[in-house]
Amino acid sequence: MKEINLTVNGKKHRIKIDENMRLIDLLREKLNLLGTKEGCGEGECGACSIIMDGEVVTSCLVMAFQAESADIITIEGLEKEDGTLHPIQQAFLDEGATQCGFCTPGMILSAKALLDKNPRPTRVEIKEGISGNLCRCTGYNKIVDAIEKAAILLEKGGN
Amino acid sequence: MKKRGKGVGIIFYGTGYGNGFPDISKAEAELQDDGKVAIYVGATEVGQGAKTVMTQIAAEALGLKVEDIIFINEDTMVTPDSGTAAASRQSYNTGNAIKKAAEALKALIVDKAVDKMKLNTNIGLKVENGNVFVKTFPSRKISFKEIAEDYKENPLKVEEEFIAQTTEMDEETGQGAPYWPYTFSACGVEIEVDTETGIVEVIDGVLAQDVGKALNPKLVEGQMEGGFAMGMGYGIFENLNLKKGKMKNNSFTNYIIPTALDMPDIKNVIVEDPESTAPYGAKGIGEPVMIPVAPAILNAIHDAIGVRITETPVTPDKILKALK
Ligand code: FES
Ligand code: FES
Repeated sequence: MKEINLTVNGKKHRIKIDENMRLIDLLREKLNLLGTKEGCGEGECGACSIIMDGEVVTSCLVMAFQAESADIITIEGLEKEDGTLHPIQQAFLDEGATQCGFCTPGMILSAKALLDKNPRPTRVEIKEGISGNLCRCTGYNKIVDAIEKAAILLEKGGN
Repeated sequence: MKKRGKGVGIIFYGTGYGNGFPDISKAEAELQDDGKVAIYVGATEVGQGAKTVMTQIAAEALGLKVEDIIFINEDTMVTPDSGTAAASRQSYNTGNAIKKAAEALKALIVDKAVDKMKLNTNIGLKVENGNVFVKTFPSRKISFKEIAEDYKENPLKVEEEFIAQTTEMDEETGQGAPYWPYTFSACGVEIEVDTETGIVEVIDGVLAQDVGKALNPKLVEGQMEGGFAMGMGYGIFENLNLKKGKMKNNSFTNYIIPTALDMPDIKNVIVEDPESTAPYGAKGIGEPVMIPVAPAILNAIHDAIGVRITETPVTPDKILKALK
């Protein structure tokens, strides 16, 4: 057993963890943040993507203790307190960028990390930005459309 | 050297279980206290949009807004059997069952409205926005909610079923009508083959799909783009590598599926030719959308390098071998 401090979606936590616990299990089992999905468990599919200190990481490959003092954003941290969706989430809905939804949380977080660094990416840059996130359903076109649209919404002043 | 080529693939596909196998969908429609209507079906949503289009079908048949349909599915404790989400059959089969149930409930509501409004007949009545009214005298009306008040204990509820028409093929002659309805699709692609590495890149694509009637065009496009990506994976990437019945490629490290970088921005062409036995003309397209893609790619490879490859997936090693 070990105790770590970390911030998740703006909230500080002090949590007891097993040394061999993965970050994804901390998020899902200790904090009940079930929006983070486990697809492959070996760093290949991107379904478990979260943002840790500004970078996208696959939380199935990060050990929980490595998150000591980290600032983490999961999909639950994107909507506003009043339930208003983040512009990227809204754009995914509007463009039909979600089918089964399993890749969606990871996709949206990869999109956020991309747009935080590059507010007006080209379609190719968007495809590169989400190339670590596999989607079996959509064929990606509508996801790229949604991220393009989100970039415009964010520029007009979303959150 | 990079060599470009173009190819097309054209297919037809019979939806439903087919070959005389009973293909049955059931649906129930129930008037709620507040005048909304609940639809119960055992159909499964897997991301294809079944919940959305089936809600649309019920709303259209009942003259209600989609918000006034309470769609209950998947829970086998409360829903009737609507068959599997397979064989591209849910929009057509369960869609038909829902349409029948919604129309039967509407007829029942109209009958009750005739009694309650003390009219002589149901002729010339219209149902719109949760109201039944006399077309020539619209202020003579009653709402679904007012009708529901009389049935609080025992809500108005109907069940209907739809059975698709297919016959078994004759074993001797192979003749019969094994499927109904059929869908048709065509795909065109442009590809580039790197003759040094053997890598095939799909650089452009167009997919045309006969849908009967697009109940929700955006969802149809989503199915088409997803199908294109799956067909492309089938054509050039995805290999289970079965050895003695075991999958050797059992992770995403070696079972390669397309990423966003592999997938071109494709053009979708939705072809509408309403099917007379279908709910509002709509046919299922879940599977057919992927089928013409791999043949189109293999034809384009032939166009590019002059060699015909007949085994999928066309991985780089096969291209290099073919070029020798
Ligand atoms: S579950 Fe972490 S990358 Fe697939
Ligand atoms: S929507 Fe199903 S995996 Fe992306």
